[in-house]
Amino acid sequence: MLLKMVLKAIGRQRRKHYLIALTVGLGVSLATAMLGVMFDVGDKVNQELKSYGANLNIVPKGASMLGELYQTEDTAAEAENVNQENFIPEKELYKIKMIFWAYNIVDFAPYLSVPVEINGQKIILTGTWFNRHLKLPTGDEVDTGMTALKSWWKITGSPGDDGDTSGLLVGRDAAGRLGLKPGDSFSAKAKGKAVDLKVRGVFDSGGPDDGLIFAPLSLAQELSGQAGLVERVEVSALTTPENELARRAAANPGSLSRMEWDTWYCTAYISSIAYQLEEILPGARVKAIRQVAESEGAILTKIQLMMILLTVLTLLCSALAISNLVSAGIMERSVEIGLLKALGASDLSIMFLVLLELFLVALIGGVIGYLIGLGLAQLIGLTVFGASVPVKAAVIPLTCLMVLAVTTVGSLPALRSLLKLEATEVLHGR
Amino acid sequence: MITNRSFRLRLTFWSLSRRRSRLLVALTGVTAGATVLLGLLTLCYDLPRQLGREFRAYGANLVLVASGTGRLTVSDIQKAQALWPENKTVGVTPFRYESVRNRLRPYTAVGTDFEQVRKTSPFWHLTGKWPEEPGELLVGADIAENTDLKPDSFVTLDGRNKKQERYEKDFRIVGTLATGGPEDGFLFMTLSDLEQMTGETGEADLAEVSLTMDEAALSALTGIIKSSISGLEGRLVTKVTYSETAVLSKLTYLVYLVTLVVLALTMICVTTTMMTVVLERRKEIGLKKALGAESSRVGREFLAEGLLIGVLGGLLGSLGGLLFSRIITISVFGRALMPQFYLIPVTVLVMVLVTIVACRAPVKKAVAVDPALVLRGE
Repeated sequence: MLLKMVLKAIGRQRRKHYLIALTVGLGVSLATAMLGVMFDVGDKVNQELKSYGANLNIVPKGASMLGELYQTEDTAAEAENVNQENFIPEKELYKIKMIFWAYNIVDFAPYLSVPVEINGQKIILTGTWFNRHLKLPTGDEVDTGMTALKSWWKITGSPGDDGDTSGLLVGRDAAGRLGLKPGDSFSAKAKGKAVDLKVRGVFDSGGPDDGLIFAPLSLAQELSGQAGLVERVEVSALTTPENELARRAAANPGSLSRMEWDTWYCTAYISSIAYQLEEILPGARVKAIRQVAESEGAILTKIQLMMILLTVLTLLCSALAISNLVSAGIMERSVEIGLLKALGASDLSIMFLVLLELFLVALIGGVIGYLIGLGLAQLIGLTVFGASVPVKAAVIPLTCLMVLAVTTVGSLPALRSLLKLEATEVLHGR
Repeated sequence: MITNRSFRLRLTFWSLSRRRSRLLVALTGVTAGATVLLGLLTLCYDLPRQLGREFRAYGANLVLVASGTGRLTVSDIQKAQALWPENKTVGVTPFRYESVRNRLRPYTAVGTDFEQVRKTSPFWHLTGKWPEEPGELLVGADIAENTDLKPDSFVTLDGRNKKQERYEKDFRIVGTLATGGPEDGFLFMTLSDLEQMTGETGEADLAEVSLTMDEAALSALTGIIKSSISGLEGRLVTKVTYSETAVLSKLTYLVYLVTLVVLALTMICVTTTMMTVVLERRKEIGLKKALGAESSRVGREFLAEGLLIGVLGGLLGSLGGLLFSRIITISVFGRALMPQFYLIPVTVLVMVLVTIVACRAPVKKAVAVDPALVLRGE
């Protein structure tokens, strides 16, 4: 009987129920889309911020000062005495992709510099991986290297190639000083040996790299006589913004309690990733490049906060619209309610009837709205970031709860005024 | 005698005040819509600027260097500062590098302006305090770790200036600096200390400039700098500008798209609310027609009502919208935004249009129906 009444009522006032279902649907689709984007925006923006380059620097423990301190001086004297402690073995580098947070390591590239003489001028040649394909013991395969790491470089000519062991990328300033342009071939001297080299491309990095020359790692190793060694690795990792725990851990990991330590170790803080890299590469020291790491955190937190606020405020507005429409719909029913009252219906059963009807309509609108919202979230994800927005399971209960709360709360004032109605007055037409 | 116009006015107000709850429903709907509209429009306008400011956390986006091989002068840097607007400047930091020695070990000493450094490089992490008094020195983290130049100790630096005269000066180390970059291997002091120590004044190797400008504006600026000050060259820090352009344009696009979706949905919501409110009044329309009112006149009355609700809701919502955008910018960026007052009439106009469009269809339908049918309750 109850069901029949509800269904009849829905069938009868079809137009108005369309409108309620439509509004609820719109509200839900808005909520779904905004919540979906909100949960995902951190990851997406984090991914985008990777274009700022590496945020971790791996240096050998023994040599952490030498390279940087003596950069301007003649390093030839030092390079003579090859000390294993001042280098990281190249064959160990694959381990970087095998730490606990391996999937957060976006890219890495090793460096080894060697002074060379070109056209009678001294200059530093840096060997690196431009784009190396690695096979890991775990069976995974990854591509990594400097080309992806320094996405802002503007290269004239052809990009670097690991296979071309005599092809160089020359910085803008270095090219100007040496009078080189893409395609040039020349002879260079390193430690008395002469090698034939050619310029593949000239790059503009807008930074100190402009004064350097980059070459495949094997060439630099051959020229310096440091086979299988690198002196520095830059790593770009996706990280979680630092908090109090991470700062304490960075200062002294020993100060944490067991629980805190587990939390810290299993969160992708820059300090915990650095710690894990040091664990896996003994003899190396991992430093966070603060210009990138700190700023990332600052911007990420701001954007997340902004999206959360935007979501909450829009949800409030859509909740207002829904509850508004619901109360408008109920108020209109005064004659029907009056009749029910005259026939002896209790307040409770009237409330139940009205709410059931509303929920049915809201449910239909909600389901349709949810689907539309998923579509909208994908649309935003694909057009803005070129990647789909994964569906978070938390969105469904959240939107359900919202619809339930909004319809109930929204109909309360209207329901109260309905229950106060005098049957005779309403039926009389006043 | 009651004129036609005043009668119509009175009819409108009467119909609005007679059923206050209905007015409230329509007004709340329109106000909520206008709040979202104005709030999001204001944010859209302001967000690229606000976010651009945040991106300055990445440090300088322009570097001033001497175009030849020599050094640039401090007066050139000051001249260059007149070339860009004051309100877009975050900071201008001069740097000067000198090779110095401490007990025969070579170090690179850097003279700079620490007040400006904190603006251009907010990511520098300091343990201890910034040098303020003359003779105070900061050491890079690597130096502090690997040598005996520790905080709170005294050091003597010596070296030779360009005229090959030997100089020597005592310093107290007041803090260590960690950046994860080459700065970890330098010694930092105030520019005036470095000048006093070497006896050479008014020079710098480069100046880092942090400006809230996009890549295109900065490129244009480098052209202006080159042509107006000889011997000085501005260079973009491509790493920062390129990435900022990439990320910022995506973020701005995201906000635009979200705004578009939210606005479209909100406007439909307002429309449906208004439709319900009008639908409810079919009986009234029937009665009016039965009493001899022309269809066009009934339509006009509803339009007048929609207009009133639109204006009122639009104005109320504009206040809400200003608050909405203010809450977001203050809590996220810690800065109040500039309210764009010309957006208020736009909001009111849009809301009036929406209410009128929303009223039109149901009124037209109600007017078309035979009043007898409507009054009978069909």
